Amino acid sequence: MMENLPGNFPFVAAVLLMGVALYILIFRRNLIKIVMGIAILSSSVNLFLVTLGYRAGGVAPIYTEAPEGPMVLPVVQALTLTNIVIAVATSALILSLVIRIYRHTGTLDSEKSRRMKG
Amino acid sequence: MTSIIESGYEFWNPIIWLIAFAVVMVIVYFFRRQGQEKYKKGEAQAQIFLCGEEVPEAEQRQVRGGNAYWGFFETLKEYYGGIIRPHTGIVNDYVIWFIAVMAVSAVVLFIVELAK
Amino acid sequence: MATLIEHSSILIIAIPLLAAFLTPLIGMASKKARNVLVMASLAFVALLVFALARDVILNGIHVYTLGAASPGLTTPGGGVAPVRIILEVDAISIFMGITVALVSLVAAIYSLSAMKGETGQNRFYTLLLLMVGGIFGMVFTGDLFNLFVFLEITSISGAALIAFRTRSADSQEGGFKYIVVSAVASLMVLFAIGLLYAQYNSLNIGALAAAMQYTMLDKIALVILISAFAMKLGGVPMHMWLSDTYSVAPVSITVLLITASQASMYALTRTCFTLYGVTLDSAAVGWIIIAIGILSMFIGVTMAVRQTDITRLIAYNCVCESGFMLVGLGVGLAVLANPEALAAYGITAISGAIFHMINHALFEGLLFLAAGAIFYRIGTRDLNQMGGLGHTMKFTAILFLLGALASSGIPPFNGFASKILIYQSVYQFNPILTIIGILVSIITLAVFMKAFFAAFTGASLPQYKGTKEAPKTMIAAMTILAVIIIFFGLFPGLILDGIVRPAADALVDQSPYINAIMGAIP
Repeated sequence: MMENLPGNFPFVAAVLLMGVALYILIFRRNLIKIVMGIAILSSSVNLFLVTLGYRAGGVAPIYTEAPEGPMVLPVVQALTLTNIVIAVATSALILSLVIRIYRHTGTLDSEKSRRMKG
Repeated sequence: MTSIIESGYEFWNPIIWLIAFAVVMVIVYFFRRQGQEKYKKGEAQAQIFLCGEEVPEAEQRQVRGGNAYWGFFETLKEYYGGIIRPHTGIVNDYVIWFIAVMAVSAVVLFIVELAK
Repeated sequence: MATLIEHSSILIIAIPLLAAFLTPLIGMASKKARNVLVMASLAFVALLVFALARDVILNGIHVYTLGAASPGLTTPGGGVAPVRIILEVDAISIFMGITVALVSLVAAIYSLSAMKGETGQNRFYTLLLLMVGGIFGMVFTGDLFNLFVFLEITSISGAALIAFRTRSADSQEGGFKYIVVSAVASLMVLFAIGLLYAQYNSLNIGALAAAMQYTMLDKIALVILISAFAMKLGGVPMHMWLSDTYSVAPVSITVLLITASQASMYALTRTCFTLYGVTLDSAAVGWIIIAIGILSMFIGVTMAVRQTDITRLIAYNCVCESGFMLVGLGVGLAVLANPEALAAYGITAISGAIFHMINHALFEGLLFLAAGAIFYRIGTRDLNQMGGLGHTMKFTAILFLLGALASSGIPPFNGFASKILIYQSVYQFNPILTIIGILVSIITLAVFMKAFFAAFTGASLPQYKGTKEAPKTMIAAMTILAVIIIFFGLFPGLILDGIVRPAADALVDQSPYINAIMGAIP
């Protein structure tokens, strides 16, 4: 496993990014940072998906005048594009909610701006 | 039959329950008919009686919802103290619980796998 | 008619989406036309769902390949792998579809008067139709990535609808918590889908189930999928967002959110029973789900008894009822590898849990709608301020009482029928689970007696002098739910043999599901 680490490094990077994102989501109290944490989580899953499709020496998966050699997988690229669009919609909605919470409570701290507990 | 659930040891037929309920209600009606006939609404008989004390206004004498089951909460004070503390309402804690449940179920699944 | 039924699965998903896009356009012209469009599209979709239900239960699994030459052509050119997105409707999918169809119609009728006078109603109905289309997509699809996309559609439109009343700070907070929790759960689901795709090169649930070998990566994917779907349906200890969210949303949206949580429970059962089936370690996974269920039942109801906000109280009761369903499903999963136990009590446990799914949507919906009617009239949800409303709001009081008795499992209502199925079967698995269940039902009755007596009984308070009964449309919507509850309670055998047992049989055996996609490969 260790000898193939250079080839597997994108997977390690994706998991490290996911770790960073979960660290932000757990330990950072600022609401904007929580939004950034969700965006980084989305990026890590996108990186993981694109890396899954890579084949060594592969070319773009287009059949018209295709050069010789293996093609990278196209399905995961479609999954990644869909996920990017979903992340855009989620980020837009969540940022507008953060603006509204700031207008109502005057603070961006996740502990001070909550009014419901128990 | 469309009303019956029957499998193994259990049997449930709501029509039979309704018939039994109707019979009991008929018996209850006959008990009620044995009661007092001289009952006039609107006189002192129908007013609230507090051992001769003055009856406060509706606003003060209404028992509010928060006061119900006081004895139950008093007995289980330690349990409720322990269970309300995790319910913080902070978003970060919700993610912590998600990671915790994932970790615990992964550990359980792998330990059972190793023990096989 | 036959072609309508053949294409009905895609029509059921497409008509709400199309109507959602038409609603703002028509709403700019006339409000009445927009309301008619919303009602007509949801009513037509309900008719299609019932027609498709009859077809699926009589004739077997219904498969629809999007974009192929004919709907049943899943593996074109004699290949061995299915291509294109395939919608696969079996008995459990159409059972969830019936639940969503009934509940969405009632929610739309209720919104007609609950949202009267609010600004932005065009956007409200657009988002409502989007959410309904999303939930239908989640339960009808046979493709994992499609499930993820519709899960996100439901979550995003749901969060926007929760935060609809921007004047109140609590609803913004509720919407924020909902979208954060949903985004984290959905992204982990996508990670698990990526893991499964990497190994088996297919996104189709039937193809994955046929190719599944329970490797280490599959175990990781299973753990992620179970935790993420359990968080989305409100299983303890990941349940805290539920009470914050359900209490502050407009109540017709809360009713749809309950259905979205049921769709997440459907996705959980699809993962455990159909995708993994007998390859997984059924005792371990079953006990994990039973543990989440027991915690949900107990903690849900003990927190509910303490609340002073009426909708928060009903929301914690939702957590408790989800626990019942999880215990039933967990028991069924735990004995999946054991044929005698499965036939003796496993199928009954799964049937009880599935029956409880539709009952839960009905009586929790009724309770939330009644609480919403109170909030509409007096403007507060605090039990410490209510009192004596039963003198003027008679119908609301009776309907609330009906929902409360059904929820606690009092005969002859539908809650009793599904709960006794769960009690009887779970007792044969492990008696302690039934004892905890019965205790929890008793405390549920206590919870609702507290709410009923605080809100409706007592002398009329002077500050609420002159509150009228709830508007007629709200009473009509609540009466529809009450009639269905009484019908399900009086004829449980009809529902059980008609739609619940086929659903339980479809879950337990994954072969018909796989064969419908891959062709009957011996």
